[in-house]
Amino acid sequence: MLLSLMIFVPLLGMIVVLLLPRESEELIKRATLAFTLVPLVLAVVLFVSYDRSSAGTQYFVNVPWIDAFNINYHIGIDGLSVTLLLLTALLGPICVLASWRNIEKGLKAYMALFLLLETGMLGFFAALDLFLFFVFFELTLLPMYFLIGVWGGPRREYAAIKFFLYTLFGSVLMLVAMIAVYLNSNVINGVAEGVRTFDIPTLITLAGTTGHALADSTFQMWVFLGFFIGFAVKVPIFPFHTWLPDAHVEAPTAISVILAGVLLKMGTYGIVRINMAMFPEGLAIFTNGVGFWGNSLALLGFINIVYGSFCALAQTDFKKLVAYSSIGHMGFVILGLAAGNSAGINGAILQMFNHGVISAMLFLLVGVLYDRAHHREINGFGGIATKMPVYTGITTLAFMASLGLPGLSGFVGEALSLLGAFQEFELITILSTIGIVVGAAYFLWTLQRVFLGQLNPKYEDLPEINKREILTLVPLGILTIVLGIWPNFALDMFSESVTNLVNVLDAI
Amino acid sequence: MVVPLISIILLAPLASFAIFALLGLAKRNFPRQDYLSTFAMLVALGCSLLLIQEVTSEPTPLTVEWLSLGSVNFSMGFYLDSVTVIMLIVVTLVSSLVHIFSIGYMHGDPRYSRFFAFLSLFSFSMLFLVVSDNLLGIYIGWELVGLCSYLLIGFWFEKDTAANACKKAFLTTRVGDVGMFIGMMMLFAEFRTLSLYGDTGIFEAVATLESGQIAWLSIAGILIFCGAVGKSAQVPLHTWLPDAMEGPTPVSALIHAATMVAAGVYLVARMFPILTPTSSLVIAYVGGITALVAATIAIVRFDIKRVLAYSTISQLGYMMLAIGAGSYVAGLFHLTTHAFFKALLFLGSGSVIHAFHAMHAHHDDAEHTEDAAHEHADNSLVHEHGSEIPPDQDMRNMGGLRRKMPLTFITMLIATLSISGVPFVFSGFWSKDKILGGVLGRAMEWNSVHHYILFAMALIAAGITAFYMFRLIFMTFFGEPRNQEMHDMAHESPWVMVVPLIVLAVLSFPVVNTLWFNKDYIEPPPQHHIPAPQHAYVSPDSKIGDANFGFSLFGVSTAQAAEEDAGPDTAQADDAYHIHHRAHNIAMVLSICVAGLGILLSWLFYHRRRFSAEGVATTFRPVYNLFWNKYYFDEFYDGVLVALTVWKSRLFAKFDLSFIDGIVNGVGKITRDIFAAFIGFFDNRVVDGFVNRVAEVTWAAGGRIRKIQTGAIQTYLFVVLGGIVLIILIFRLF
Repeated sequence: MLLSLMIFVPLLGMIVVLLLPRESEELIKRATLAFTLVPLVLAVVLFVSYDRSSAGTQYFVNVPWIDAFNINYHIGIDGLSVTLLLLTALLGPICVLASWRNIEKGLKAYMALFLLLETGMLGFFAALDLFLFFVFFELTLLPMYFLIGVWGGPRREYAAIKFFLYTLFGSVLMLVAMIAVYLNSNVINGVAEGVRTFDIPTLITLAGTTGHALADSTFQMWVFLGFFIGFAVKVPIFPFHTWLPDAHVEAPTAISVILAGVLLKMGTYGIVRINMAMFPEGLAIFTNGVGFWGNSLALLGFINIVYGSFCALAQTDFKKLVAYSSIGHMGFVILGLAAGNSAGINGAILQMFNHGVISAMLFLLVGVLYDRAHHREINGFGGIATKMPVYTGITTLAFMASLGLPGLSGFVGEALSLLGAFQEFELITILSTIGIVVGAAYFLWTLQRVFLGQLNPKYEDLPEINKREILTLVPLGILTIVLGIWPNFALDMFSESVTNLVNVLDAI
Repeated sequence: MVVPLISIILLAPLASFAIFALLGLAKRNFPRQDYLSTFAMLVALGCSLLLIQEVTSEPTPLTVEWLSLGSVNFSMGFYLDSVTVIMLIVVTLVSSLVHIFSIGYMHGDPRYSRFFAFLSLFSFSMLFLVVSDNLLGIYIGWELVGLCSYLLIGFWFEKDTAANACKKAFLTTRVGDVGMFIGMMMLFAEFRTLSLYGDTGIFEAVATLESGQIAWLSIAGILIFCGAVGKSAQVPLHTWLPDAMEGPTPVSALIHAATMVAAGVYLVARMFPILTPTSSLVIAYVGGITALVAATIAIVRFDIKRVLAYSTISQLGYMMLAIGAGSYVAGLFHLTTHAFFKALLFLGSGSVIHAFHAMHAHHDDAEHTEDAAHEHADNSLVHEHGSEIPPDQDMRNMGGLRRKMPLTFITMLIATLSISGVPFVFSGFWSKDKILGGVLGRAMEWNSVHHYILFAMALIAAGITAFYMFRLIFMTFFGEPRNQEMHDMAHESPWVMVVPLIVLAVLSFPVVNTLWFNKDYIEPPPQHHIPAPQHAYVSPDSKIGDANFGFSLFGVSTAQAAEEDAGPDTAQADDAYHIHHRAHNIAMVLSICVAGLGILLSWLFYHRRRFSAEGVATTFRPVYNLFWNKYYFDEFYDGVLVALTVWKSRLFAKFDLSFIDGIVNGVGKITRDIFAAFIGFFDNRVVDGFVNRVAEVTWAAGGRIRKIQTGAIQTYLFVVLGGIVLIILIFRLF
């Protein structure tokens, strides 16, 4: 019940907001804030009360929804989903606060769409029925399209359509794979018997049953690919990544935060939840280290890391730089997942969470500067550290966390992913460490060009970061430090689940 | 007592920084951050001194589980042996003195509080690195000191040179750190742990390896050493350290002379048990080459801080050479003596710079406006290497300062005598001699050409060191003032700055240092993969340390003291012992000779002016150019490596924008065209109103979406909501 409440409170909030008069903007903002704070409180409750010693699904609800197709409203959480739910719920109010002053038109619709988006995201991470999973996945797409397309920058339409079509392309493949799985879900030894199902835990069991159609390795390979491409677009994995820089550059600050903080994680979450757990045989074909295809997933991770980092180095738009850095950092997730061992997967999941927190900070920080200077040209600043010492301090923290400075959260996930990957793919991992150096290079170079040196006379009167903005950054900053010092705080949540997953993978 | 003491040592400076950071968020400052930080450091120093008593002969790691992944666990903890305690004392002592010095030196700086807060953060990180019992913890401290170094080099970030230097320092060391991380991954892949000590630790596991299995261990050792190459500024990653002199001088003294840069040596010493003959030799050679290269560059510098920077690089190379050649105790001994005399030299140079500062500040105003006028944003990763020397650091503006600043002069002279290896009275002589003796001893014992070469390198570097250090002293403090205007302004520094100099000067005498080289206090850890004699004899290294200690204090001969203490057990050990003993005697005589020669030449060149340095430079023009241009390392890195990286990144970005995105947009366009054609086909051939209708609706909807107004979205949302409800209802009916 708690879980359902958490998912649908924002939807309720959307209805409430829509019923409020358009003119009472303060009221709309406060209502939205309140409706995003409720899921946060619930997420914290879930996070704390989740039984860490057991890896199984908890807080599940399973009621029939569409009987004709045996579709159920089946939700529940394990350590992985509760971690990402917490991340999503945390970013909700932060994004509302970040949208407090800079949404100039249609505030009501903006907030309503945002709440709808939040329901979609929360539902996605809790869904345990493949159909429900897909519905929530699609539910995030529409609000996102409008949020970018209406409230975005000058090229918002192009960016929004690109985002929409890319994701749609991926989800069509996903849909096909999903239907294939559904149709085969009752075929054992070539004979169809019993009812078909969309139920994820059931499907996982079936896919591990010898003789079941779902357990066939060729079948697994193809559905693996279908799902994988769908998720790869979201992550995004090279070469499906070009929607990301455009979407980020055009999207308003808060939407960039959600995009980088949560939406990208939907891709990697899907890979863990569906691709790895359900199709280990399919996964093995791409990660067993034999030949080109056996290294392909790790190679994709490597390409993301190096390609993303180098592209970031060349950017002169602050936001685009951060966007490309996301591509690079998500590469570590892919690399860790490809390793398929305890260190790798744990590191990858930790990196998902940490990247969510850190990239959210980065986009908020870019937003702070943009709201003041109305441009994001890295070379157009200079020396603003003298004018904005607090802002500079927080930015340095976020940059350092992002470039993987030990003691801050970014390091732990990255290091574990690499440690895990090295055991399986030595050369690829060694080559991937290039990304660590380049990552430091683009962040420090940016730091220098924007903050250090003589103050650009244009910015003599630049106001320091204000209290509301600090408030949006502080919780994320604290998480960055806490998780850097005490990573077990998050790792404890999912390490049991990961152990189970690793056992399944090892059995192949 | 150990855990509370270490906790206080770590938490005191951390708390000092945390107070600054938290108040900073509220845009406030602690009123006396300087006293707070200094006090925190003195507390840490007191606790470190108390720890001397706590070292047991069987040190055990004190660990807590940090990260548990089910099958693999990472623990964090402290490891306390005599080396740890010595390092703790060195760090807290130098840091305390630098704090006190900075109260005077940084006085009036607009970011005064921040400076002390950063010093606190640095001290915490460095201490954490020192006490960590596992590679992961060391790596964490390792990177954090790098961050502090970055922040403090760039402390005066308005200067473009400082902004460039801090970035360069961070990136260059990071290249080495990546190597170190790969080495860690190799060890982890093999042993499934990053803990060093204890039954499950790496050292225990390494001991069980067969001799045929150590090829990869050599590689891992060299990779870990890469981290030290970066951090301790060894060739070829040394170029950041001279540039790091853009930071305030107390920072140069603390971070870039005494502690952080020595962390690399400390790391290699910590990893002593995993070293193999190959990796040891690589370490020794890198150290030897660094010692020579840096010393030769130092000869021709005019910036007083750069001379000291290259001197630091050279001395660090010395320490690396020592540890690579198996002289564990000698290397660490030199680390401590160097920490004191080099910190003293830097603080002394700071005192000189401070004396000139009033003058400089005067000039500064004029330059300032000029600077502001020209474009400040540095738009490239490549920069010009400032051969511009700030006037207050240029030795060509100095001369005759000994009368103006007697205390600074005397203390710096003591440090110079120490680093030059003037015999018997100064600590530097003993530590340097121990290294030379150790290397020569190994050469004779193994009859190894490599070690003879290394010995020669070390000996030559020792002579050059004496030469350029006395050049610095003569140019700065002797002769006639070269810049009368600046000379008139100069004055002795205030007491708060002079007292630390005096304390450090006292620490440059062996009496204090040898306290730590108490009998049996330091025992080198066993090296399992370096051939026999090392095991057989009763670590003559430490015994000879004691012998020197006895010698220096009581005038007892090396031989007597050594024989009394050592009591070798076997005939073989007896042999090895005597070889080492002879080596030490030979090395001592030779080192006294080269030091004397270096000082003599320096005196003839720069004091008596018997020879002209310019004349020699003209005669050996190509060699001089090589030294003057620092062997062209910077030119190579900026012109080739950095330029290539930037070029590659632009290429990637262009590829992304034109090719990948081009394909995406192309596919989009083609799809649209095909659909249009497709619909057109139906339109023409299939007379079907339905299809037309669909197409019309699609296009109309497209038009709607493009022009969509925010008002329409609310309608849309209600439609979506209604749709969801409808879908649910419809499906329920099935």
